[in-house]
Amino acid sequence: MTRWLIFLGRVTVGFVLVYAAYLKLQMPWISFAATIQSYKLPLPDEAVMFAARTMPGFEMALGVLLLIGVQLRWVAAAASLLLLTFFAVLVRSYALGMNIECGCFGPGEQLTWKTLLRDGFLVLVSLAVTVGAFLTRRKTGAVPSMTREPQPADGRTE
Amino acid sequence: MFCFMLLAFAVSGHAAAQTPAKKSVVAKGAAPIDITALKSLGTKTAPITMEVFSDFQCPACRELYFQTVRPVIDNYVSSGKVYLIHRDMPLPMHPYSREAARYANAAARVRKMEKVVVALFDKQANWAADGNVDGVVATALTRAEMNQVRKLVRGGTLDAGIDKDAALGTQFRVTQTPTTIITHKGVTYPVVGVVSYTMLKTFLEQLLKQ
Repeated sequence: MTRWLIFLGRVTVGFVLVYAAYLKLQMPWISFAATIQSYKLPLPDEAVMFAARTMPGFEMALGVLLLIGVQLRWVAAAASLLLLTFFAVLVRSYALGMNIECGCFGPGEQLTWKTLLRDGFLVLVSLAVTVGAFLTRRKTGAVPSMTREPQPADGRTE
Repeated sequence: MFCFMLLAFAVSGHAAAQTPAKKSVVAKGAAPIDITALKSLGTKTAPITMEVFSDFQCPACRELYFQTVRPVIDNYVSSGKVYLIHRDMPLPMHPYSREAARYANAAARVRKMEKVVVALFDKQANWAADGNVDGVVATALTRAEMNQVRKLVRGGTLDAGIDKDAALGTQFRVTQTPTTIITHKGVTYPVVGVVSYTMLKTFLEQLLKQ
């Protein structure tokens, strides 16, 4: 049961990350840079440009790795960290009453409480997958995957 | 099941966000006058065209204008690398932005748009508070120019041009101001919101190298 939940969770988070990255990669990096800048974070232009150029690719890589299910503990932990960062920035902006676009799935989506609800839930799912992956690993020593046979307790697959 | 509901929520939310805004009503009866050339700076043959969809009462548009557009005018428009077009997108939430757009369009017809745009953005807080657009524009023009502008504004024929810009914005799926549409070699690149000059410069240089 736990394995199925982890499987569903990682597929969900993986799909959302791939979808979000795909939409961002369709746009020029400057569009995403403008979105990041609209959050008015205390970042120099160079950091914003670096983030705008690399983040969609990083998101895509994490999403694909989650969907495949390799190195799940570390990939899920990285995805959780990324989503937590996004969520913290969104909460800050919403609390400051900033009337801006979310930029989560490219341009065109205003930041509203629905955005926070959706992203908050995604963070929870991602964290659950991370914790589940670590716990499953501790119990069985195996990577929780629906595509592989459970490994013996002493088996090292990573 | 729950996960799929979440996916549906994420996808439908984005699909709704991508839906273009309601089509603006183009004034009927008024002869549409294309004043794009009068609202532009630079040469039409420039390799890059930048169309800035702007609302004079929007603070972010003011920020973009002074922080980014002015340096672009100085460094890229004047050197023939960028053709800059001002597009009006007065938002209904700003009570005086359409009036300001009318004055700017009237000024474009007497070839004084840039001066009026600078004045409108510079004194945005003043006229946005009391609605005295006329008074602010008057400070930027001579008496004769101002008389011409007032005549055009009172003529009531300027809305067609403003609505034409807004309709074009709808085609480009512009949902907020400022939005800049950059066109290079037939490819359009939308930039929503304020982007710093440093970043825009990097992007423009990247395009020019292609």
